[in-house]
Amino acid sequence: MDKRKEFEALVREYSETLYWLIRRIVLTHEDANDVLQNTFLKAWNAYDSFNRDSKLSTWLTRIAINESTDQLRRNKHLASAAAEDLSVAKSLLADEFFDGDATEAMLQEAIASLPEVQRTVFTLRYYEEMKYSEISKILNTSEGALKASYHIAVKKITEYFKERD
Amino acid sequence: MNEEMYIQEKVGKRNPFRVPEGYFDNLTAQVMQNLPEQPERRAKSVFMRPVFYAAASVCALLVAGAAWMWRPAAEVSSTAPVQANAVAQPQQQESAEGYFDEAADYMMLDNHEIYAYLADSY
Repeated sequence: MDKRKEFEALVREYSETLYWLIRRIVLTHEDANDVLQNTFLKAWNAYDSFNRDSKLSTWLTRIAINESTDQLRRNKHLASAAAEDLSVAKSLLADEFFDGDATEAMLQEAIASLPEVQRTVFTLRYYEEMKYSEISKILNTSEGALKASYHIAVKKITEYFKERD
Repeated sequence: MNEEMYIQEKVGKRNPFRVPEGYFDNLTAQVMQNLPEQPERRAKSVFMRPVFYAAASVCALLVAGAAWMWRPAAEVSSTAPVQANAVAQPQQQESAEGYFDEAADYMMLDNHEIYAYLADSY
């Protein structure tokens, strides 16, 4: 099959799943769309060197997470440059593409306050319900370290809610 | 109560995010439209390849030279006093390290670039 056609089939198969994963990390639709486009651009440019023994979904998820993390860093830089202090929860509740309630917005704010690794591990485990063995392959981290990160993330989020109850 | 259960009971796992109408219908076409016709490989690896081979040759020569200088004392001269060789060695070592630094400076390569070439080549 033509390489481009083969890649198009891959985009069709994985784009929606990857979009939701990215969206849960970067939160806004605009950013998620940009990150998704960049993810496939990176994947296309590295497609020839992709090791066919590896799982395609693992490879794509890894690129998507790296791109999402880069986007968060860029946003952080822009936010501090503009000295914006609007909370994540308030921003989400004002977003036309967020239809959650205040508690759901608070959970997103709590997740957003976590360090990068804990945030990623929590998203993959809690929402995607991914096995630690799979997360380990994506993030290239030991299962023990991932379990510790998830446990700390859950504890911090719980404390976040209890402090505001 | 289990802390994970606390979060699940308080918030749940519902997806609160939405996308514009018809977003996923056009997504594949939109992604494909933004891709170049052919994958774009980094130009640097092709451009720098001759430099890498030159650097590898210089390193090989330096290693061969160092091995020759530090060959066992008995092979250098059976009549030379052992003490003289023992005193001379640190000086030679310093001198060889100097050659490596000079060579690296001359080639304007650092370890990251060498690793990048090795990654590209294999």
